[in-house]
Amino acid sequence: MTNSKLTRRDFLRDTTLYGGGLWISLQLPRPNAARAAAESSEPVSLTPAEWRTIEAITGRIIPTDAEPGAIEARCVNFIDKALAHEDVQARPLYALGVAGTDAAAQRRFGRPFVKLAPAEQDELLILLEEGRAPGWPEGPVSSAAFFASVRAHTIIGFLADPKYGGNHDFAGWKVVGYPGPRHHLGGYTPDQMLGRAKIKTVWGEEL
Amino acid sequence: MAPSELFDVCVIGTGAGGGVMLDRLTAAGFRVVALERGPQLETSQFDDDELANVVRDRVFSPEQIETYRLDANSPTQTGRFNQLAHCVGGTMTHWAAWSWRFRQDEFRVLSSDGPVAGASLADWPISYADLEPFYERAESDFGVSGEAGANPFEPLRRKGYPNPPHPPRTSSAAFAAAARKLGHRPFPVPVAINSRPYAARPRCFYGGACRSYGCAIHAKGTTFSVSIPRALATGKLDLRANARVFEIPLGSDGRVTGARYLDAQGREQEARARQVVLAANAIGSPQLLLLSKSGAFPHGLANSSGLVGANLTFHLHAGAIFLLDGPARAYTGFEAQTAIDDLHASDPKRGFIRGGVIAELNTVNHQPLGWAFNADGYPQLGRGWGAPLKRHLRAFPRSVVVASVLEDLPVESNRVDLDPDVKDRLGLPVPRITHRQHPNDLAMHRWYTQRILEIAEASGAAERWPLGGAGLGVLDEKTAMKGNAHFHGTCRMGNDPKRSVIDANCRSHDVPNLWIVDSSVLPTSGGYNPTLTIVANAYRVADHFAKQARRLSL
Repeated sequence: MTNSKLTRRDFLRDTTLYGGGLWISLQLPRPNAARAAAESSEPVSLTPAEWRTIEAITGRIIPTDAEPGAIEARCVNFIDKALAHEDVQARPLYALGVAGTDAAAQRRFGRPFVKLAPAEQDELLILLEEGRAPGWPEGPVSSAAFFASVRAHTIIGFLADPKYGGNHDFAGWKVVGYPGPRHHLGGYTPDQMLGRAKIKTVWGEEL
Repeated sequence: MAPSELFDVCVIGTGAGGGVMLDRLTAAGFRVVALERGPQLETSQFDDDELANVVRDRVFSPEQIETYRLDANSPTQTGRFNQLAHCVGGTMTHWAAWSWRFRQDEFRVLSSDGPVAGASLADWPISYADLEPFYERAESDFGVSGEAGANPFEPLRRKGYPNPPHPPRTSSAAFAAAARKLGHRPFPVPVAINSRPYAARPRCFYGGACRSYGCAIHAKGTTFSVSIPRALATGKLDLRANARVFEIPLGSDGRVTGARYLDAQGREQEARARQVVLAANAIGSPQLLLLSKSGAFPHGLANSSGLVGANLTFHLHAGAIFLLDGPARAYTGFEAQTAIDDLHASDPKRGFIRGGVIAELNTVNHQPLGWAFNADGYPQLGRGWGAPLKRHLRAFPRSVVVASVLEDLPVESNRVDLDPDVKDRLGLPVPRITHRQHPNDLAMHRWYTQRILEIAEASGAAERWPLGGAGLGVLDEKTAMKGNAHFHGTCRMGNDPKRSVIDANCRSHDVPNLWIVDSSVLPTSGGYNPTLTIVANAYRVADHFAKQARRLSL
């Protein structure tokens, strides 16, 4: 890896990753995604076509194997609600990004992204991540910035509290082996801290 | 309009420094007005929602932005580079509660190790002995739990800790066992977290979400839970939340008159006081001084030295992760339960000076999002998505994180000033951080990473790797600034008015009724978390106020 590439990747990460972000830092306070998620699991921000493309991308970022992945965790629902509220500034990035992803898929494989085989989708996403996607439209949104945003959103949708519309049926917490928050459940006993006693998860199993 | 009340003291900021001042000044009988830029939070708002509290930081500082650049010739990034809180109680409200006394030599780094080319090392104008009684008072008020004598390297203390140490978790026990194999002497981290009911506050329930979270039950010792309620109970405190100070005005007599601020409705207001205490943290305090320009101080209030904002330090956190065969339970308890100090002492034979403490900790990595986001900081894990990411996610419950708090060297050109281009919502120039690591920092980071990896190896873990990624890793100049919780040095305390901003009593060299009592006064950063030292220093300054009341016209 050359130095110039390192610098570029660092820069892209700096301007897209949650917590240090271009659009995140400019967000307005609209903390209503949890309420929107409670009211509907239908699209409120994404178009049906955008929903399907984003859902397919999330499915490659956290794939399904013997355990659930981003699809089962409904990460796309999380993203849809976030884009309507807390992360509304990122909505244009998603519109441009989905269009760019399909343009690149057409250029590389002659089909839109959702029609690609998983291995083809992975190949395309690597091109997006590395900023080398063919046919990506010139403009303010790089393919790398779009990919980094969807990746960050997918991870959050997988592992944030289910009230935000993702982590459906605690799928993400089951995969990582996290029992869920304990602030209002009395915390842990010293025996649980030392592994001498089981921990009951918020969904009722024992770890 | 009738003139507003003239208070004895106006305190700007209500965190570790300001909050303690409010408590002690009102206890001494002074009438005090406090101006806090953030809101008054309630414990009902404190939960363990990782997205809201940590990732989005919506609870404690939703509007904060800064700019950052490596040096004057590098591009400037806009974002949020610190984890400081804006609320009544300040950053201490969501602190990790590690409660150290700095070691004797950490007050005299220049004499001990200096000078070093490219670094602005300094001795503090006060010694450990000057601060010792106030450390003792701070430990008592905030209910520090610990075991006196367990750390063979801790500075001399007259009294034990007010509370006994906490029970360990699997991950801290695994760290302790590995460290012992190498001859280190692990001990319980002293923390301002109740290990038993103490001072009308309950014991900790070990819920895990501690650092970056407010404590819903007041088990964590904070100015929010301890100092400010006590100050309010005196009836001597006028606490004004959502008060964004934009200027400390200077009178024609060369004394400051109070503070001008915008209230929650955006209306301009003024608080008047005989003495002004600035405690807005090592970013906010220099920002406010630099905003307060006048004919007498064209380069910012109290800045005849030119050092307001300079000498910014923020610690390094070299570390490593290793995986146990079974559950590590690192998501239980609080941030840091077990530490070693065997490698802390400065030893130039290592190829660098200074050092710091090493501890097992559950932050940032021991909540699911922190763990997942750091995946892309570990190149050996492969891509940060797809099957490699999922493999990484599954390692979460077996993981142990060991990290250090390392004393970075002050450099005069590392500083906070005002960004010439970027403004915040109120139209104020945002703080601009310029920071490049001193070569000593990078050498220290490399050395400590290797030592911690040796501890990971001694644990018998087959899988282990150096700490990196967002938040904790300071690996090289490119990844140097990814956000930090410790900021110090930007209004340095010292005896020489040309080489420091405030004197040994934390009074401005330039303005006789202006005081600074926060992390910005620390001339060097020490190899420990700084908060107890900020707190102890505030007790010391408040004590000085009480003793000098007549001379200060109080």
